Amino acid sequence: MTATADISLDGPGGLRRPATARSRIRSLLGYGAMLLIAVLFLYPLFWMITSSFKPGATILNNPLSFNPFHATLHNWRDMFAHVPIVRALFNTAVVVVFKGAVLLVFAPLAGYGFAKFAFPFKGFLFGFVLLTLMLPTLVLIIPLLLEMSQLGWINTFQALILPGAIDAFSVFWMRQTISQIPDELLDAARIDGAGPLRAFRSVVVPILRPALAALAVLSLFNIYNDLVWPIVAINDQQHQTLAVLLAGLSSNVSGSQAGASSADLWGQLMAACTFATIPTVLLFVLLQRHFIRGLLAGSSR
Amino acid sequence: MPVRKRSRLPREWWVGYLLIAPFFLLFAAFTAYPMIYALELSFSDWHGAGVLHWIGWSNYTYLLTNADFWASLGNSAVMWLLIVPVQTIGAIAVASALTRSRLRFKKTLRVVVILPYVTPLAAMAQAFILIFDNNFGVVNTVLGWLSGPSVGWLTTTTWAKPTIALFVLWKTSGFALIIMLSAVQGIPTDVYEASAIDGAGAIRTFLSVTVPLVRRTIGFFIVVSTLGISQMFLEPYVLTRGGPYNSSTTSGLYLYNHISASDLGTGAANSFLLVVLVFLLSLFAVRVLRSKED
Repeated sequence: MTATADISLDGPGGLRRPATARSRIRSLLGYGAMLLIAVLFLYPLFWMITSSFKPGATILNNPLSFNPFHATLHNWRDMFAHVPIVRALFNTAVVVVFKGAVLLVFAPLAGYGFAKFAFPFKGFLFGFVLLTLMLPTLVLIIPLLLEMSQLGWINTFQALILPGAIDAFSVFWMRQTISQIPDELLDAARIDGAGPLRAFRSVVVPILRPALAALAVLSLFNIYNDLVWPIVAINDQQHQTLAVLLAGLSSNVSGSQAGASSADLWGQLMAACTFATIPTVLLFVLLQRHFIRGLLAGSSR
Repeated sequence: MPVRKRSRLPREWWVGYLLIAPFFLLFAAFTAYPMIYALELSFSDWHGAGVLHWIGWSNYTYLLTNADFWASLGNSAVMWLLIVPVQTIGAIAVASALTRSRLRFKKTLRVVVILPYVTPLAAMAQAFILIFDNNFGVVNTVLGWLSGPSVGWLTTTTWAKPTIALFVLWKTSGFALIIMLSAVQGIPTDVYEASAIDGAGAIRTFLSVTVPLVRRTIGFFIVVSTLGISQMFLEPYVLTRGGPYNSSTTSGLYLYNHISASDLGTGAANSFLLVVLVFLLSLFAVRVLRSKED
């Protein structure tokens, strides 16, 4: 498994030919296809964002129109007034930060232990970790829920942060990456008098940096967007994350009659959805390279 | 891949234990223990309070003789058919077209297509509900202009599954494209030159050069998607709550419904049936891939 570098799209290109009418038509078709794909993938996002600035009645009666001159902040104002979304964003941020910290500290350490140290039952323990990779997450939901209620952790941050904080896959990934670091480098550090942790800090971490960045970015998006576990573990407003809040909002709206009042609710819902999407889209644009590298590293095992 | 390589470092054994200790504490508490607990639950009649009643295989026989259980598996199978072939073929086709052409904006297209993958599912599903709404949706409005029929996308038993599949395709195809791009770009240029010398056209080259050479990636991708679809529950949960008439209740959502009904023993048994199924499917996939490689 290698953390492949950013894909360049300039792989094996077509054979060079002078631009003929035929090749011009072909490239026109190519651009047409690219445009079509881009529109299909962007339109729902575009529609959601623009709808959040439309009056509710327009969303329902004239869903395709968007006149930037008639844009209104009405939905956004109502949304902030009625939906505890800032609180939810704060909760999500807390979970992302703490869950991410646990993962980024302990997964590389465990990987280091598995890759570079010999201890009894190592093979058995690692095999067990690998086995759980095959286990569907849903199997764990019921017993985890019971465990949380026995611990009195329902509706707490611990419940959101600790289960699933380090997953087997991350440890596996870190172990594979660290095994590729030559033992000689670690031996050299040892001869210089460094203990295992010193060697980790001064030898392993610098080499591991790209893989750690990819792991950080990938888990950032996963934790931010996670819905399966939070929806089960959280049922109060105090601790709900953005994803849980949004999943609940729709049932409020669709439960009510389609009409004037529901139109405003839909407008608010689109504002809330846009609000929740902005951070991920911004982060994605900023961290795009690392993210795609992370996806590739995650896929080519 | 130096998986079996032994560490030559003569370190004390307890250092290794110390390093993996934090991970294993969390792992034992929140993965290993629940897993064993779930196994016990699957043989019990338990609704969230009181003592566990050991009832042997009853939960399993109940499920295996229950029409709803099989219907949920059937719904998942239909989802698989609607998603995996389209996504796999589409992703390879687009990946090889992007790799082999000299068009500009290819990197931009890659970013655009991966964008839905990072958006929150809960948010985008709400937008889809409105876009596919019977009366107010963009899709039916456009169909109306073309004087087409008004379709109950998420509210009829015929269309609920395809509409959910469409959402999944929109949301996850960027991931498929990235994987296929990395595979297609690994194909050496001279293979294509040889194919051009032999006079093969674009489609011929795609079918007899590109596809066979990325077979391993295709296999990996199909296994991963199959695992994902066997557990899929959020998409139908948010879009349709499994309706109408359970027509979009996938196996994952069926299991979730046991949880929300506090029918925990049956739910646990259901999840282990899914584990067995997924295991058998993966085994089968590995077999098929192996035999093709020989």
